[in-house]
Amino acid sequence: MGSVKVNNLIKSFGDFTALKNIDLDIKEGEFFALLGPSGCGKTTMMRCIAGFEKPTSGKIFIGDQEVEDVPANKRNTGMVFQSYALFPHMNVFENVAYSLNIKQLNKSNPFKQASIYARLLNKRLGKTPKDIETKVMEILKYVELDQHAHRLTSELSGGQQQRVALARALVMEPAVLLMDEPLSNLDQKLRHSMRNTIRRIQQELGITTIFVTHDQEEAMSMADRVAVMDAGNIIQIGTPTDLYSNPATPFIANFVGTSNILKGTVVGEENGLYHVEGEGFSLKSTKKSTKKEVDVIIRPEHVQVVASDSIIDTADTNVIQGTVLMSTYLGSIVRYDVQVGVYQLVIDTTYSSGESIYEAGKEVKLTVAHERVLLI
Amino acid sequence: MKKMKNAFSGLTLIKWLIIAFFALFMILPLISVFLVSFTGEPINLLGSLVDPAIFSSTVEKFQNASLDNYKQIFSNSGYADALKNSLFLAFTVTILVILICIPLAYGIARTKMPFKKTISALCTVPLIVPTFISAYAFIIMFGRAGWVTQIYNFLGGEGMLIDPYSMVGIVMVQVFFFFPYALWPLVAAFKISDVSLEEASQNLGAKSWFTFIFVTFPLAIPGVISSALLIFTVSFSDFGTPIILAPQNLNLLVVEAYREIAGFFNWGGAAILTVVMVIVAGFFFWLQHLFTKGKNYGSVSGKPKQQKLVEHKGLNTVLSIYSFIIVLVPLFAMLSVALQSVATTWGRSLLPNGYTLDHYKTIFNGSLGNITNSLVLATGALVLSVIIATFVSYFVVRQNSSSLDFMTSIPLVVPGIAFGIALIQTFNAAPLQLTGTAVLLIIAYTIRRLPYMVRSTMGSMRAIKQDIEEAAVNLGATPLTAAITIIGPLLLPGIAAGSVLVFITVIKEASVSILLAPPEWAPMSLAIFQNILRGEFYTAAAMSIVMIVIVLVLQYVAGLFTRKQQL
Repeated sequence: MGSVKVNNLIKSFGDFTALKNIDLDIKEGEFFALLGPSGCGKTTMMRCIAGFEKPTSGKIFIGDQEVEDVPANKRNTGMVFQSYALFPHMNVFENVAYSLNIKQLNKSNPFKQASIYARLLNKRLGKTPKDIETKVMEILKYVELDQHAHRLTSELSGGQQQRVALARALVMEPAVLLMDEPLSNLDQKLRHSMRNTIRRIQQELGITTIFVTHDQEEAMSMADRVAVMDAGNIIQIGTPTDLYSNPATPFIANFVGTSNILKGTVVGEENGLYHVEGEGFSLKSTKKSTKKEVDVIIRPEHVQVVASDSIIDTADTNVIQGTVLMSTYLGSIVRYDVQVGVYQLVIDTTYSSGESIYEAGKEVKLTVAHERVLLI
Repeated sequence: MKKMKNAFSGLTLIKWLIIAFFALFMILPLISVFLVSFTGEPINLLGSLVDPAIFSSTVEKFQNASLDNYKQIFSNSGYADALKNSLFLAFTVTILVILICIPLAYGIARTKMPFKKTISALCTVPLIVPTFISAYAFIIMFGRAGWVTQIYNFLGGEGMLIDPYSMVGIVMVQVFFFFPYALWPLVAAFKISDVSLEEASQNLGAKSWFTFIFVTFPLAIPGVISSALLIFTVSFSDFGTPIILAPQNLNLLVVEAYREIAGFFNWGGAAILTVVMVIVAGFFFWLQHLFTKGKNYGSVSGKPKQQKLVEHKGLNTVLSIYSFIIVLVPLFAMLSVALQSVATTWGRSLLPNGYTLDHYKTIFNGSLGNITNSLVLATGALVLSVIIATFVSYFVVRQNSSSLDFMTSIPLVVPGIAFGIALIQTFNAAPLQLTGTAVLLIIAYTIRRLPYMVRSTMGSMRAIKQDIEEAAVNLGATPLTAAITIIGPLLLPGIAAGSVLVFITVIKEASVSILLAPPEWAPMSLAIFQNILRGEFYTAAAMSIVMIVIVLVLQYVAGLFTRKQQL
């Protein structure tokens, strides 16, 4: 019931194509993140699923139902908006009860409808039915807001408003939960705890969730799978570890964590080791490459910095000569900017107290394991 | 089939109904009057659609269409004079208002002159008074028996200081009762100029008057020009003042058009004058729009700039005295009306001969109907404009409906008297014979005052973010349900504020009331107008005071709403 499939989806606004032939297959109960820089089309993608944008072409399935022609109010997708979009004239309870009232409204006769409208416009004009009340209080308790049920949403903190928005989306038991940058309005600390809360609720309810974000840390730490988008295309879909260790393109390598990217040429292969050469460096890698001209990706934390006179076993390790440009002490790690040939590499080394830090101008050796050199 | 259903969904249907409403009651009358200016005879476009006989006679009229009327505007001295005089009046009023307002605006915006709050408050007095009452107040003051004339004669002057029944009188009334329209934009303009620029000028050795002339004032010039254009349009379209004060031998477009229609039933003449009025008013409105577009006064409402207020004692005292003189004229005018309303008789003396409440009794015995008429008509216009404005602002803000945006701003351009003539001409005959009914009067009021309402609701609508509405739809509500349960309640403050404004302006409305109101539906404004014409000044005065009190009370209520909104 809760899977989402997208086939050959194209969405254009006039001359601008926001989504270029998107395919997605999101499994039931999966926590799926759409990750990308602003303007990459991730929000448009979500709005197409919610029904706020009509695709130019292509198909969208929620469960087994094809939904392009289903209006937004009949898609049963619970959306948490970036701004939360809480109804400012309603209190917490009324906000959460809204969808249940609407559901009742839609299956009532005109006379009953009038009384529901009256109740929605002014709470003195009618009482919320018991079953709705029970359900709302249940979900409010679940997000730990039952104490605040009768407060105005403007009186709540950002984190509480966020939870109201979540409760309001969950109470309608949606087929899919859609979250549009839900954490971007929270401060750093709250963001961390909300990440855990959202992940926990998603796991407990087993609800299919699509999560839009531009923050790779958020996507990597919460999602089962991540789709990285850029300029209207999906560039790679994979689990967080997949994306990190096998980025499909330099863009992803850079977007998912920091990377050193060098231009190189594969000059030969020997015993499963590929030789790559570029301006000022020569490296060996265990990674296979079908191309000759490659991007060499090295993660900052995969490089060690040692004194230039150290003797190193080169059986499975590359050694590169470099000059320290700058060293920055960051507490548990030291970040070095090192000049290698024409490139400036960023290197993070773990630091334990008492160790010496190489100063700017110092000649050093850099070591990186063959298997840590990625060629794409 | 699916498409059909889509096209006739609730909201779309409402949109087409509103467009049809404007097309029928605004566009069609204006087009008709334009055509009549060529045919010289009334034409019935609606009738032509349903009745072949009317159709053929309309065709015949078109065959006789000519430019005769347009030639007249250049050759007939009457029409040409009217145009010349109207332009002269508007031009003079504009120049005088700007000259008067510059020191006043500077005083309010940039100095610490004494009694600034009182002066600012008194500047709103002219805005609550309909112009035909201000004109009449000037008669009480400056007329042959007026108290100002008495003082003038006592001091040795001969005759009248100013003859209210003259071009000078009309100019005076308009200047003193229209200056607030220019004042507040000018105050804003003076606040724009950055104090650091002025300090720079002083730092470079310039004296303060030099700084004012070469730095402060030039920075305010866009504001000055835009206010000038606004005053020009307001003065040009004003009907209340000239209809009371213009002597027989002074032709003005608005008066001439009224006489052609009310006195001689000269459709061709009235039509050509209407077309000329709309073109001139539209041109100046367009100029003003052109001028304000792109000039961002938002910087005033945005981050307040560092403002240093002038503390020079001598300058401030002079400015304060000057400002009091300006604001006291309208205040005295209103007090004169109040005094007359409780006077037994008031002849050639400084004060009335005795005091009585009889005139109020007369009103409440004999003219209560006019008061209830005003209230009923204004309520009708209010309800209609609330409904239309709410949907219009929804369509404009949410669906970018520029056609509705354009249509609802047309009434700002069309002078009331011109609009009235257009309506009478169009709905004079079957199939939609509405002239002389309260319905047409209410529709006329509604369309004329809709821009105020739309502006107010549109502001509230812009404040409601799109995602609030999307959230409702996402939670299962149809767009119509979302509009009723979410948008409606959130719009309420804007609707309330706009409603009061509509109600007030409808009660004050002169031109449309005088042209369109049937006797059994005569509102207060028409009753006052007729009383003045009949020379029943004391009851006119009492009725004016009642009207002003109603307006004041409503304005106070509106104030409560806007304050609530700001909190």
